[in-house]
Amino acid sequence: MNTQKSDINVDIFKNEYLEPVHKVGFWTSIGVSIAMLLPTIFLLVFFEVFPPTSAIWKGLLLGFTYSIPFFFIEPIAYYAIYGDAGNYMSMTSGNISNLRLPCAAVAQEVAGVQEGTRVGNLIATIGIAVSIILGVLGVFLGAIATGWISNFFSDWVKDAFSTYLLPAVFGAVFGQFTLRGWKYAPVALVLSIIPMFFNAPAYITIPIAVFGTIIFGRIAYTNWGWGKPKSFVTEELPDVEKA
Amino acid sequence: MDWKAIANGPWLWVCAFISVAIGLYQSAYFLKKAVFILKNHANYTDKDIIKVVRGAVITAFGPIVAEIFVMIALVVTISPAFAFQREGIGVGSVFYELLMVENAATAIGETFGGEDFSIMGFAMVLLVANVSCIGWPLGAAFFTRKLGTIRDKISGGDISFLGVISICATLGVFGFYAAQRLIKGGGLMASVIGGMILAMFFFKLADWIHMPRLKEWALGLAMFGGMIIGKLVAG
Repeated sequence: MNTQKSDINVDIFKNEYLEPVHKVGFWTSIGVSIAMLLPTIFLLVFFEVFPPTSAIWKGLLLGFTYSIPFFFIEPIAYYAIYGDAGNYMSMTSGNISNLRLPCAAVAQEVAGVQEGTRVGNLIATIGIAVSIILGVLGVFLGAIATGWISNFFSDWVKDAFSTYLLPAVFGAVFGQFTLRGWKYAPVALVLSIIPMFFNAPAYITIPIAVFGTIIFGRIAYTNWGWGKPKSFVTEELPDVEKA
Repeated sequence: MDWKAIANGPWLWVCAFISVAIGLYQSAYFLKKAVFILKNHANYTDKDIIKVVRGAVITAFGPIVAEIFVMIALVVTISPAFAFQREGIGVGSVFYELLMVENAATAIGETFGGEDFSIMGFAMVLLVANVSCIGWPLGAAFFTRKLGTIRDKISGGDISFLGVISICATLGVFGFYAAQRLIKGGGLMASVIGGMILAMFFFKLADWIHMPRLKEWALGLAMFGGMIIGKLVAG
């Protein structure tokens, strides 16, 4: 599919794509942030209900303890895979590891493009955007038709989806990328498993696994030439600096 | 005041539709931009784009169905409007939402899903679930421009190393999530291994039999296959 394709000129990419993406991404992300506060504001204005401050602090402390490390780790770890637009969309809609990244990865695989290139970013954007639009439709149906959905499927099927689909997604994406970099796969697994034996929390283990594997990749790239291209994604790459 | 009646009110659907509308606009805009650039500056045809979209649709199907099943817990215990407000656009992962709902109820001394759960507990759930995740969209708004610089510093501006970074980062992320389930053994381990082997098989098969279209289905088939293997092993 990609044989007659070309990568995109860096100036066109920056001016015609990145700039508008940042502009719209900034305002829509701010908009979603404000919209998240609306339920609490509406509840206060229309029903005069607002929880006590002491409980709020306690609840937020519990909530932030889990989420704050991921505010930093996730964008840095995932950015290399999905680029700028992918980051805006993933950070405002969530479900990154189980839905956005697999869709971005398959889109890139189907298109036969290399991750990290400008074309790769655009293809990942399509994959993620499609997953969000479908996700909203699916969740809406789920919200209004829960009873019907519950009755339609057997307990066996519901348990299979609720418990075993997610591990299969993780295994499948890991397998897909093992094909592209099988030499790094054991390192990623070992770096993930070792901290788990010390009961390290996810916000410690994920950076070790991600950045440890990247550091290993750097060492292997510099010293042993692993990953240095013999053939590139696209036939012609006129000015392939960075996306 | 019956908190369930309030939680099912149209006001919460309005809140949900506002954030969903913003999120959908963002996605539709980026999608349109990406397609335009690919078609006008990278020689992509409609057919090429449709292949990419089809691959994403097939892959998205399983996780979305799984999400619907898990969100039933939110629909039943809180309300359909709350589930849609949190799951449509916002953060999304139902597992995260359930954790936040539990945190909110605990903080106010009530039990999520229990008899003692009141309108105050519901107000706490709305506030904690929404505010605890506000760092993601806010971070995206203010720091996405900087992420490219961070990535370039790591890669030294070397395009081929950027590919290595992406592969290593993906293997690191999914290595972590896969390892979490692998060490638990049983059906979870079987579904990880099943998904992995099947994905590798289907992607390779697509190359062997020169059928690139199979790649659109590969991840979807692998995740369903892994899921069934995991469930069969678990019994």
